[in-house]
Amino acid sequence: MRMLEKLGKSLREAIRKLARSGRVDEAVVNEVVRDIQRALLQSDVNVKQVMELSKRIKERALKEEPLKGMTAREHVLRVIYQELVNLIGKPAQIELKPQKILMVGLQGSGKTTTTAKLARYFQKRGLRTAVICADNFRPGAYEQLKQLAETHGIPFYGEKNEKNAVKIVKNALENMKEYEVKIIDTAGRHALEEELIEELKNINKVVNPDHKFLVLDAAIGQLAKEQAEAFHKAVGITGIIVTKLDGTAKGGGALSAISVTGAPVAFVGTGERIDDLERFDPDSFISRLLGIGDLKGLIEKFKEIEMEKEIKPEEIIQGRLTLKDIYAQLEAMNRIGPLKQIIQMLPFGSLGFDISDEMMQVTEEKLRKYKYIMDSMTEEELENPKIINSSRIKRIARGSGTTPEDVKELLKYYRTMSKALKGLKGGRVNLRKAMKHFRI
Amino acid sequence: MFEALKSKISSLSKIKEVLTEGEISLDDSSLRDTLWEFQIELMECDVALPVAERISEVLRERLIGKKRKIGTSVEEIVREAFREIVDEIFIHSLDFDEFIEKTEKPILLVFIGVNGTGKTTTIAKIAKRLLDNDYTPILASGDTFRAGAEEQLREHAERLGIRVIAHRYGADPAAVIYDAVAHARARKADVVLADTSGRMHTNVNLMDQLRKICRVNTPDLVIFVDEAIAGNDAVERAMRFEREVGIDAHILTKVDADAKGGTALSVVYETKKPIAFFGTGQRYEDLKKFSKDWFLKQFLGE
Ligand SMILES: Nc1nc2c(ncn2[C@@H]2O[C@H](COP(=O)(O)OP(=O)(O)OP(=O)(O)O)[C@@H](O)[C@H]2O)c(=O)[nH]1
Ligand SMILES: Nc1nc2c(ncn2[C@@H]2O[C@H](COP(=O)(O)OP(=O)(O)OP(=O)(O)O)[C@@H](O)[C@H]2O)c(=O)[nH]1
Ligand SMILES: [Mg+2]
Ligand SMILES: [Mg+2]
Repeated sequence: MRMLEKLGKSLREAIRKLARSGRVDEAVVNEVVRDIQRALLQSDVNVKQVMELSKRIKERALKEEPLKGMTAREHVLRVIYQELVNLIGKPAQIELKPQKILMVGLQGSGKTTTTAKLARYFQKRGLRTAVICADNFRPGAYEQLKQLAETHGIPFYGEKNEKNAVKIVKNALENMKEYEVKIIDTAGRHALEEELIEELKNINKVVNPDHKFLVLDAAIGQLAKEQAEAFHKAVGITGIIVTKLDGTAKGGGALSAISVTGAPVAFVGTGERIDDLERFDPDSFISRLLGIGDLKGLIEKFKEIEMEKEIKPEEIIQGRLTLKDIYAQLEAMNRIGPLKQIIQMLPFGSLGFDISDEMMQVTEEKLRKYKYIMDSMTEEELENPKIINSSRIKRIARGSGTTPEDVKELLKYYRTMSKALKGLKGGRVNLRKAMKHFRI
Repeated sequence: MFEALKSKISSLSKIKEVLTEGEISLDDSSLRDTLWEFQIELMECDVALPVAERISEVLRERLIGKKRKIGTSVEEIVREAFREIVDEIFIHSLDFDEFIEKTEKPILLVFIGVNGTGKTTTIAKIAKRLLDNDYTPILASGDTFRAGAEEQLREHAERLGIRVIAHRYGADPAAVIYDAVAHARARKADVVLADTSGRMHTNVNLMDQLRKICRVNTPDLVIFVDEAIAGNDAVERAMRFEREVGIDAHILTKVDADAKGGTALSVVYETKKPIAFFGTGQRYEDLKKFSKDWFLKQFLGE
């Protein structure tokens, strides 16, 4: 995920600069702040916001007393960290309960696609979910959502020839009572289109949604602030979804949307397919921005995840690897960072265990494909991949929209991983202990 | 339009002047401060950071030590220097109507770009413009991927009363466009407007597909459609499409959403390709032909 990618690089560079400089004086702080500033500006963060942030970091770094026992360098890092946390905001609460969700945003930002993705998200988690098309303006909008929904077995409501969007929504709510989660797609509009903003207000009144998601294109420029303000004023935004992060856009506009709405980033879109939706977790995001320098946070994260029983590093190390572990690993990757980074952070190196190129070359895209493939496997196949024969491979490929070669490749990846990890078995490593040794 | 940038230009007049040996010239240190401020203001108008830095650098080079003639104001000098720079950036031009008139028929225009920028809508607007000028356009439904894409294009075609050539979803877009051109030749249509799926330049396979479309069909113009409301990434992706597929002109849409104008400056600065049109709304007539004079006027408020 590329959100604020440039910032991550500059931050890591800044941290290195801080580490290299013998004394942390005003010149060093200025230099570090300037680098961060450029990175934020290139990520399309609001210019005023960037200038305010740089000023605050400088002031605090130079004027505030470092905490007891903290070096000047750690003090500056802490200030940067805290200011970034403020900027990026809190995590979003997305509860798995019956709810109504209204999707709003500028033309072409990705509302309709994300409506389908979200429906799939809730559907996969066991909630009866339906989508509603309240876009009676854009040609083909009805067919677009209908096709997306039908392909994935999601119930759909829409009225092709009704001119009044509010009426459609009223009828939809009447007709779709049996569904627990209802997601309403609306036509694209911008702050200056007064009539359309008025229409949105009316839809909002009729629906009284639990969530109002502002769908924001990762590429949006300085306009983000005023647009977010207008949508917030019209309906009261409760969450932000940043789309198209699979390109090179950095999504900095989301930060001004966070600041003017007070709403968190709930999800990010990373592709056109229905499963290309990820939860957004500010903590892991910042850890990633700071890179390996914040290993401690990552270790905390690992522990948490371990507790949730989603990934069991100890078990993996002991060589009992199933496809389920790989799946959990991929899910965890969404929350912690690219697999490569995780692997690099794991203490394999210090254990004399080499990560082969083959393992590292598994691109994130491929991993995503693997996830689709595993979604199409049975419980039994996941637990005991040995039983997957060629007819099963064919079925799995069909179900996941991939090729038998893809499935075979995943099985090969699985075998490589388990073989590599078996080598560690005799060593009886305690992962947590090993991680401690690995601290920077 | 582009109100934001217009109001920023006036900040340049803050540059102080100094008296050296009896002549008035522009002072270097105040120049530095003001230009930094100006650079920030350019970025507030969505001029990409590297481009804003370059412009401010060039302005400095040209203004430093510049003598002021009696009867001119500092503001005038600065404004003129900036005008010159913008003028140089928009050195390449494309008169779309003239191009259509002079090019052998059938003409093939292929529209490409990242997701959701307005390709399909812009095609409909251009079809309308061609109809108004007594040409016969036909549409090629080269987006065989996105849900509802074909229905969207078809609905526009029905409203405009023109033909669409389409295959089924999942078909090879190069073949659809090839068929459309053959059809245009047989039926003496003048212009084929080919739609393509939105795609990220980071997707190698889909960029290959665009190259194939161009190889098979040799379009007369490849038009890169992006949004005037995009920030720094507009430059990045324009350059990638230019390098990997090759583009002949830009169209920038959604100007009506209070676009700041800097995106136009940035993409042309980097790609050196002309802007053909701006999209200024969702109706067919919301298509503004680019003219440098008009643009400069919007920018400099002259
Ligand atoms: N690459 C990529 N494309 C996306 C993503 N989300 C949406 N898209 C694409 O962006 C384009 C626009 O998406 P839509 O869902 O139609 O956008 P919308 O906001 O509903 O558009 P309007 O209804 O016209 O306002 C489509 O081509 C989508 O496939 C994403 O995360 N990544
Ligand atoms: N306000 C405004 N909206 C526009 C303009 N041009 C296009 N749109 C809207 O932007 C949205 C996306 O337009 P499309 O034409 O579907 O974009 P596209 O590039 O074909 O999208 P994909 O094929 O999904 O990549 C639609 O809601 C259009 O009505 C414009 O100039 N101003
Ligand atoms: Mg839509
Ligand atoms: Mg399209």
